[in-house]
Amino acid sequence: MTHPVLSIDQLVVERGGRRIVDGLSLTLEAGEIYALLGGNGAGKSTTLFAILGFLERSGGTLTVGGQDPAGQLDAVRAQIAYLPENVALYDHLTARENVDYLLKVADCPRSRADVEAAFGSVGLAANAWDMRAGRFSKGMRQKTAIALAMLRDTPLLLLDEPTSGLDPAAAADFHKLLETLAARGVAVLMVTHDLLGAADTADRIGLIAGGRIASEWFAQPGEPRFDLNALHSGFARVR
Amino acid sequence: MSQVFTIAGAELRLMLRSRLAIVGVATLLLLSAIAAVTSATQMAAAAKMRAEAQIATDQQFKSQPDRHPHRMVHYGTYALRPVGPLAAFDPGVDAFTGTVVFLEGHRQNSATFGAARESSDLVRFGQLTPAFVLQTLAPLLLVFLGFASVARERERGSLRALAAHGATAWAILSGKALALCAAAALAMAPAFAALGWAAIQQPAEAGIALLTALSYSGYLLIWVLVITAVSALAASAQGALVTLIAIWAVVVVLVPRAAAAWAGVAEPLPSRVDTEFAIAADLRRIGDSHNPNDPHFAEFKAKLLQKYGVGKVEDLPFNYRGVLAQEGERLTSQLFKDYAARAGAIQLAQSDRLTALGLISPALAVRRASMVGAATDLRTHLAFLETAEAYRYNMVQKLNALQATAVSGADDSARSKDPIAERRTRISADFWKEVPDFRFDAPTASRRAAGMIPSLAVLALWIALALALMMIASRRLERNGA
Repeated sequence: MTHPVLSIDQLVVERGGRRIVDGLSLTLEAGEIYALLGGNGAGKSTTLFAILGFLERSGGTLTVGGQDPAGQLDAVRAQIAYLPENVALYDHLTARENVDYLLKVADCPRSRADVEAAFGSVGLAANAWDMRAGRFSKGMRQKTAIALAMLRDTPLLLLDEPTSGLDPAAAADFHKLLETLAARGVAVLMVTHDLLGAADTADRIGLIAGGRIASEWFAQPGEPRFDLNALHSGFARVR
Repeated sequence: MSQVFTIAGAELRLMLRSRLAIVGVATLLLLSAIAAVTSATQMAAAAKMRAEAQIATDQQFKSQPDRHPHRMVHYGTYALRPVGPLAAFDPGVDAFTGTVVFLEGHRQNSATFGAARESSDLVRFGQLTPAFVLQTLAPLLLVFLGFASVARERERGSLRALAAHGATAWAILSGKALALCAAAALAMAPAFAALGWAAIQQPAEAGIALLTALSYSGYLLIWVLVITAVSALAASAQGALVTLIAIWAVVVVLVPRAAAAWAGVAEPLPSRVDTEFAIAADLRRIGDSHNPNDPHFAEFKAKLLQKYGVGKVEDLPFNYRGVLAQEGERLTSQLFKDYAARAGAIQLAQSDRLTALGLISPALAVRRASMVGAATDLRTHLAFLETAEAYRYNMVQKLNALQATAVSGADDSARSKDPIAERRTRISADFWKEVPDFRFDAPTASRRAAGMIPSLAVLALWIALALALMMIASRRLERNGA
């Protein structure tokens, strides 16, 4: 029996005695890009933290590849690549050293050629490979982190506000990278405020309100993929 | 386990690429090396000087010409405390207690020539010895190197990235602690090299050198664990730094000094002036052997005359003055011994209180272990004073006995008026050669090792507590999503 990459049912997460996520349900299959939209404090990042096992849930079920972070945290984390809003690279290490280090921590070392191929495929300029990350722009950091995610070859990629602070061209490049990953079968769950970016890239868009998915839209064949008016009004309602 | 080494490697790489860390480690390395070399040079010079001075003073005593034995009692000699086997590593109380005692009749002199009394006030602040570097400066360097090790990662968000890559909180903390241990080991290297050198020079000391190294390793391990745990528990790197500096100030600076002051108040030691006044008063009470009307000595004389069945001292089969000197010395020495025993007991009680306080400051525990191992602790100094006093008493009584047996009473009575009688009271210089040389043996290695055990136990307890703190920090990190 094959499991969905991510399966969430009636998830409840509390922080400081407050229910932040309250009955959220979501299933994600391989190669699917899901954009989770919502206002500040709606529970988007909290949902990601619950998936990663950073926060304990107080209700519902949650599995990644059929495994529950509550009991199989290491196995769950081994299936996830996570990009926080501010990609946390080590400034004293070069892009190559950052990637090598985190791959070693994750116990999946890769050859030098593999790393360079990943850098090449995310469009990180060759002169940046051995440059210390302290000198990187946000876009370069994102690219390094995506290269790392590709090298880890995990079935699930979690992104927290990945395009905030990126210029439009860099954001467009980033969305192309996501499509490349999805084409390889990686399931992507992206938390974002960027409605237009989500509409460009996602297969599904969920609007989170009151700690649960209040509305959901599916991409349609052809252009535009989503009814932007419906998205705008839905988003405006919950903000 | 490989995660721990990977994280430790990254942390070490950060230190290697941080100018501040390199300057800090290099400075401590330099200080440690300078301390090891200067302390070894100074103590080697002191050992040589004291050994040569002891030989010279013994020779001077033995090379005195024919003399009246009582003049030799006043000529006296010196006892020099030999340098402890590992004193170059930790001179301990050496600088403060004095190292030379003048041994003469009728008096028990204090030890003199302590470096703190002879040198500038800087000595009182703390000599630059390997022990001082490890006890005081190394923890401070570790604080500066490690305060941000975990807090920095949390502030930058990389702690979550590490956790998301499968690193457990315990692996993260252990890796950080391991890297700090490596920095500590590097900083300790010159001091440990000094210990190793001492062990090579004196193979009998190898075990003690190893125990000393173990004590300091344990002490710095406590610091490494506490620094890592505080860095993980603090809300920010700045908060961790402030907390750790406060802990350092309390544990290394405040508690040892406050403990010494508290021990002094709890076990008050009379001042030297008070003691000397008290001894003088007691001496007056005992009596004056030169006063024919003194009740004690009049009774002593009467008993002696009765015992030998004679009517006057001139008819005794020995020189009464010599026997009288022996009795006087016996009484005063007993008095000195009593006072010294009382003062020693108070000092040891103070020292024991400090040992007990090792429970609240590992700095006190490691200091004690270090001094006991190096035979530079208070107990060894008191044993030296006791040996010197026993030597003085035996030497003086031997000379008094010579006065009683080798000098005629008639000549002794007439010597101040009759130069010929005076010449006859001078006995052969060969007698001085019979007086044995002064010798003090530091406690054996096994005895010192046994003396180190309580402090090692305290350090082991602290390691357990620091590990518990690491576990609490790890759990909190795990619970808060790293």
